[in-house]
Amino acid sequence: MDFGELKEALASQAYAQIADICDHLMLQVAAEGVAFQEEWPYTIHLLGHIYADDINSARFLWKSIPSSVKESQPEVVAAWKIGQHLWTRDYAAVHEAIHGFDWSQEVKGLVASFAEQYTKRMFRLLSSAYSTISLQDAALFLGMSEDDAANYVLQQGWDVDPPSRMLTVKQQQVVMDQKLDPSKLQRLTEYVFQLEH
Amino acid sequence: MGSLENLVTQIQGLSGSIEDIAHLHNILRLADESLHSESSALSAVLDQVDPAKHSLGYLYILEAFTSGPVSKEQALTLVPILARFINCCDAQQIRLAHDKFVSVCKRFKDHVLLIESPLRGVSPMRTAVRKLQTTSEHLTTIHPDFLLLCLLSKSYKIGLSVLEDDIFDVDQPRDLFLYCYYGGMICIGQKRFRKALELLHNVVTAPMNVINAIAVEAYKKYILVSLIHYGQFSTSLPKYASSAAQRNLKNFCQPYIELATTYSSGKIAELEAYVLTNREKFDNDKNLGLVKQVVSSMYKHNIQRLTQTYLTLSLQDIANTVQLGSPKEAEMHVLQMIQDGEIFATINQKDGMVRFLEDPEQYKTCQMIEHIDSSIQRIMTLSRKLNAMDEQMSFDPLYLTKVGRERQRFDFDDFDTVPQKFPI
Repeated sequence: MDFGELKEALASQAYAQIADICDHLMLQVAAEGVAFQEEWPYTIHLLGHIYADDINSARFLWKSIPSSVKESQPEVVAAWKIGQHLWTRDYAAVHEAIHGFDWSQEVKGLVASFAEQYTKRMFRLLSSAYSTISLQDAALFLGMSEDDAANYVLQQGWDVDPPSRMLTVKQQQVVMDQKLDPSKLQRLTEYVFQLEH
Repeated sequence: MGSLENLVTQIQGLSGSIEDIAHLHNILRLADESLHSESSALSAVLDQVDPAKHSLGYLYILEAFTSGPVSKEQALTLVPILARFINCCDAQQIRLAHDKFVSVCKRFKDHVLLIESPLRGVSPMRTAVRKLQTTSEHLTTIHPDFLLLCLLSKSYKIGLSVLEDDIFDVDQPRDLFLYCYYGGMICIGQKRFRKALELLHNVVTAPMNVINAIAVEAYKKYILVSLIHYGQFSTSLPKYASSAAQRNLKNFCQPYIELATTYSSGKIAELEAYVLTNREKFDNDKNLGLVKQVVSSMYKHNIQRLTQTYLTLSLQDIANTVQLGSPKEAEMHVLQMIQDGEIFATINQKDGMVRFLEDPEQYKTCQMIEHIDSSIQRIMTLSRKLNAMDEQMSFDPLYLTKVGRERQRFDFDDFDTVPQKFPI
């Protein structure tokens, strides 16, 4: 089993590609009839799916892992725990699962990168979904202590009301490109031509 | 024995150019019967022929070699041979013996299932599909076999990648039934409900003289996915569905139709009670998981309905209307719906209120323009294809004879030489 491509992706932090690389490799190895289950890097494979926010694929992968591997490799189980909480949308528990395990050297970078990405994603969700939210809940969602959470959101422009421990959300203004270019004119001409014939 | 050696020499010699291969094909067709009768001697012969260069010859020998029932041990040895052939065979050559290649692939699928490792067959079958197809719009007879292996090995993503291709050419209409049914199941597994509905709709409305079991099972799933995705279901099939389907499908899917009726009442307790009483039926059809998804989708649709009546609503009121346990539960539901883009709202924890908003999309961004552009391009291509098909059909002899028979003897225009009205 040639894990060269996978190792490269891990080293260059191209984490978004890991799921595809693993899927592709698994099908190839299976087609050759090799019994790969005991040596397969299930942890990395699961985390790859989780990083790409493809929890469906992570679930199916978990179902296909033989129980002998599940029993002998606690890291695989720990990686799945993250996926499981993402599946049930237990937002706070995801953070607990991330920090509650001593990850091996190989996957530390991947887990850390995912944790950062997840916190950012949670923050964006909170910004778009809440107009006010309690500090306690925000801290749970962001996986930080209440003080850290308060500092984090203050930096992003939110308001903190200390007595009630309520945060007022500032809507994130997302700037979207609105410029048009001349090639659009060509396309519009094509459409009109098509419609008249 | 001598004839077999002769055959091998001819295969090795005549696999060079296109004319040679056509000549070889004729020889092979004539030799087919004798190949089948000497199947025991064939394994030695296989070693002398190269699957990559002499694909056509190898195919004929392989097909004769693998015909007949096999045991599990035999399957174990055959699977790698078949996989190797599929991976390195020459696509041009094997397309000449289309049916033989299909038989070999179907046997490969059967053997892979016999040794209980469907995952082994996924990658070779994908290769087989790509080699047999003339274009990516071509549906071959082995497409459904590939999807079946994807389903059994839970390799949904790769199945989905093949499903993304639009199909315009079908080898055999019956392939379409299984392809769309399995395809629908794969989309359900990846929660692509809209695409699943499209595929299942194709099964249900496909031309059929008599109801078949695939259409019945597809209809059951169609009802369930319709409820999950749209929150409603209508029993009337479109006009272009076959009369057999329109008359009979409902009769085989009674529990599901009743589930849809109960769903439309909007009452979670009633729905859950109905599911409990009929649990066994749904379980036997292996649809229980999907039915559970239907039940949990009701909260979502009930909340969505609220947005049409209210501008703001308290979390407590949402919980009461939708029959959730507590305002916190309601808050979590609303949050999840916001995350999935199913609703536009902001939650105000301080007052315990939710404010429903309009879709902020203004359709002005470059990204949206690209999206609309590509949709227009797709429809233009489709429109051109339809025009081409229409033209082709209008000079099809069968069509013309039918239209000719039904035409009236004298057209109205034959009598009228003077226009009745003068436009001013």
